[in-house]
Amino acid sequence: MAPPIPREGPMLGRRTLLLGAAAGLAALGLASCASPGAANGAIPLKFWHLLSGGDGRTMAELVARANAANPTFDVTQTVLTWGPPYYTKLAMASAGGRAPDLAVMHAARLPGYAPGGLLDPWDLDLLAEFGVRREDFGDRVWESGLYDGDVYSIALDSHPFILFYNTDHAAAAGLMEGERMRQPRDADDFLDMVTAMKEASGGSGLSYGYVNDGAQMWRLWYTLYLQQGGVMELPIGGKARIDDGPAVEAFRFMQQLVDESRGVPNADIQTALAEFISGDSGMLLSGVWELPSLQAAGIPIDAMPIPNLYGTPAAYADSHAFVLPHQNDVDEDARREVYRFVAAILKDSFDWAGAGHVPAYLPVTEDPAYAELSPQANYAEVADIINYDPPAWFTGSGSDFQSLFAENLQPVLLAGADPQAGIDRFRAAVDELLSKPNPV
Amino acid sequence: MAIATAPRASVREDSIRRPGKPGEKRFGLGRIVAFAILILLAVTWLLPIAWAVATSLQTEADAGSAPVSWVGETGVTFAAYAKLLAEGNVPLWAVNSVLSSVAITLITVGTSAMAAYAFSRLDFRGRKWLYAISIASIMVPPQVLIIPLYYQMLAFNMVDTYWGLILPQVIAPAMVFILKKFFDQLPVELEEAARVDGATRLRVFWSIVLPLSRPILAAVSIFVFIGAWNNFLWPFLVINDTTLMTLPVGLQTVKSAFGVQYAENMAMSILAALPLIVLFLFFQRQIIKGIATTGFGGT
Amino acid sequence: MTTTPTQRPPITGAAVRPPSPKRPKRRDGLAGWGFFAPFGVLFAVFMLWPIGHGIYLSFTDQSLTGSGGGFIGFANYLEAFGEAEMWQSIGNTLWFTLLSTVPLVVIALIMALLVEQGLPGKWLWRLAFFMPYLLASTVVSLIWIWLFTPQLGAINTVLTGIGLPAQPWLQDPSLSMVSIVIATVWWTVGFNFLLYIAAIQGIPEQHYEAASLDGAGKWRQLFSITLPQLAPTTVVVVILQVLASLKVFDQIYQMMNQVVTPSTQSAIVYIFDAGFTGYRFGYASAVSYIFFAVVLLVSLVQFRITARKGA
Repeated sequence: MAPPIPREGPMLGRRTLLLGAAAGLAALGLASCASPGAANGAIPLKFWHLLSGGDGRTMAELVARANAANPTFDVTQTVLTWGPPYYTKLAMASAGGRAPDLAVMHAARLPGYAPGGLLDPWDLDLLAEFGVRREDFGDRVWESGLYDGDVYSIALDSHPFILFYNTDHAAAAGLMEGERMRQPRDADDFLDMVTAMKEASGGSGLSYGYVNDGAQMWRLWYTLYLQQGGVMELPIGGKARIDDGPAVEAFRFMQQLVDESRGVPNADIQTALAEFISGDSGMLLSGVWELPSLQAAGIPIDAMPIPNLYGTPAAYADSHAFVLPHQNDVDEDARREVYRFVAAILKDSFDWAGAGHVPAYLPVTEDPAYAELSPQANYAEVADIINYDPPAWFTGSGSDFQSLFAENLQPVLLAGADPQAGIDRFRAAVDELLSKPNPV
Repeated sequence: MAIATAPRASVREDSIRRPGKPGEKRFGLGRIVAFAILILLAVTWLLPIAWAVATSLQTEADAGSAPVSWVGETGVTFAAYAKLLAEGNVPLWAVNSVLSSVAITLITVGTSAMAAYAFSRLDFRGRKWLYAISIASIMVPPQVLIIPLYYQMLAFNMVDTYWGLILPQVIAPAMVFILKKFFDQLPVELEEAARVDGATRLRVFWSIVLPLSRPILAAVSIFVFIGAWNNFLWPFLVINDTTLMTLPVGLQTVKSAFGVQYAENMAMSILAALPLIVLFLFFQRQIIKGIATTGFGGT
Repeated sequence: MTTTPTQRPPITGAAVRPPSPKRPKRRDGLAGWGFFAPFGVLFAVFMLWPIGHGIYLSFTDQSLTGSGGGFIGFANYLEAFGEAEMWQSIGNTLWFTLLSTVPLVVIALIMALLVEQGLPGKWLWRLAFFMPYLLASTVVSLIWIWLFTPQLGAINTVLTGIGLPAQPWLQDPSLSMVSIVIATVWWTVGFNFLLYIAAIQGIPEQHYEAASLDGAGKWRQLFSITLPQLAPTTVVVVILQVLASLKVFDQIYQMMNQVVTPSTQSAIVYIFDAGFTGYRFGYASAVSYIFFAVVLLVSLVQFRITARKGA
């Protein structure tokens, strides 16, 4: 006869399993009822961005204000790690068709998203309903959002690479012209100005952090390259066009800039910042987003676009822009609220200037109050001369392109390696990328 | 008649041997040294979690300022935990983890047990081949399938859905293997007797075989549950919607708008670790037995 | 009338049935398929089909965005074989496997041997050594990133406190793999520890009694009885450990701050980067199968070695 069935203990008996399943289903029911925002009728919107630190704080405030002022929507922001983690997840979400309602992207990354159908185009008429029109944006910023005739990104700002300077040191070095520092006549004149700054500050003439930071290297180099009229083209399936003359000259100039006779020769971004903040340096080359830290430090500063050293006015910049990730089933009401939200943020973007950025929405920068903002008002005109990364699926902020630049060209600055050889290596690496099929 | 439960050795709770090996002095030098090394190892192993807890109980300002210490300057505070439980998505992620882990465990164990029973007891065309294929698939690491699986999710429009999260995780051929081995050694007389009395196969399975298999089912369930709860790669790939994320994925993907928050990160880690640790504290014996049993069957 | 189903005799215990002559008719067809079907359907859809479709994808230029998908022959494989970064990722994976398997086996064994001395406090050892295994990879990575943080991290704080230089644990490419291995060992040693505990407890007491009667001391017993008895377990532990290490993704991706570093990325990280960050499903699929071949090769080598030893 059958022996008594041994009991292992009540823990995982069938009864418990069934109870567990029932509890699970009950929780499922509860969870689906607990969707946020359903209570008061506001449409919940999901907003992804990659801004953190000072930028993150400012954006959080802008979002909170927009939510408070607009009861028809309730925006929840989600922040992902800057760079590849953000962009990869955004692409995967868009490919899956259940992406967030709104996202921020760097405008220069558009070629990696729009052609593949990962983004939905903006409806300009609907935008106009909420008071946002083409005329409200500068030409270059607007063009950065176009693909194949449609508008895929609406810029919130442009954030160029500029020159900050310590006004006290500039005055001591005799470089002031009225309220602002004078413009250099050419590249050599600028180097003399840096030397003068070094004597005045007692530390460095100019701080520039670039070690292990491809973005920083690229930003300055590309500015100088463009100022000489250099052109960079990246045709898929072809060869990269990089003009050797301007390319090498830009490096030669940078080598002199970071020469130890003028400053710290091997600074990374934090070291350069710290040096300038402590007052030991006359100038700082960095992005506008550093402004809050500089102002918080209390040093007397002003800023200007990178001086035109070679003839062609040009500056590197990228933009934070709003995009509509692709959704398989678009909820028209929700989309409408997204437009309302974007318009609200753009109109409120005066505070975004406080983070150092140049707001893209012209009514904000043309407002008299903006002229009072110092030093932002002193470099706002850079928006007319900005240049984005050469369009390709692998360029843009946070992309491999800029790390590739660092890999091949850091020795030129760090160890005095030959610029031409470095350019050739870089060109070869880019050509290899171009030879691969465009995966977008 | 004894019914062999777990294959191989079982982990006994208390040492039924006398302390020490035979022929050994109880407080000999060797044992003291061994004890000392053991204490050292245990402390080393406990330190990281202890440090994480200590950091989580500081204010953000204290945690982020040098020099770091066990207790922050402003003392012990639960502020980080309060913030996580009040704002943000941690509770939601916990619910997602519970639901998906329970579902995965139920479906995996259920389907694996049925298949194992079929292989063990039932005679049907193609049985040998199907078993061979199932066992052979143990050699395929799931990680090499992430590309075609994600493509499949795109094609079925299952990205960012619960089923897209759950279904690819319920295939566990190793568990089929383990369960079949167990069923093979259950005596068939009980089932035969029931069949003679007119019971269907399903009834025999449910009323006789499963109850007899409680220990192995428990072991398999525990192993599958822990694996499902802690699984990162597949949930990370298939879920982008922050309201559908499980705890491990949410922790990794969603960052603070204010930059790196050390105390908050550690509090989040402890919260994410708590459920399984609490389970462990209550069900130590079963969990250890479960791991030791199924561990030999494959990871 | 009882009929005997055609089945293999049970392994232990129960009575062995006389083998029945093979019948051409499958009696349990409906029930058999019925019981198998739930698993079978899921298995076919989510295991078999991806395996086959993955092979197909590897011959196309399919993109994450849905574009591409045309047949391109062996182009992906040729590209992969010529791609230094691909080989480097496999090399990194093998290096990680070697670096982590040795301590994960040796330390687990030492722990188990120490614990099974019959010392008091069994619950403490079990908790301390095994608890980390119950943590999710994300938790482990967050904790160790915090420990490894350059200035504020506990490890560097201790190092500088005793006069040693602070190390760039995760920032220096030549050091980062070691750091990740340290975290991995802490995390997963508990699993092997348990397997060894179970095995040690399975060694019959008589061996030790006989040995001590013969005058063998503790160390002698260890080397003549315990370790040889544990050899089969060690084989299993090593095999499992190697196979698990080859598949590493989580902690490498998480602790490298999610930025792709060719010097540290494992094969699966490279596949993820190529397929999801780079959109190239076809190419990533090809690399997946190349890597699968490597895993099979390693398994084969292991099987050969252990079969020879065991025989």
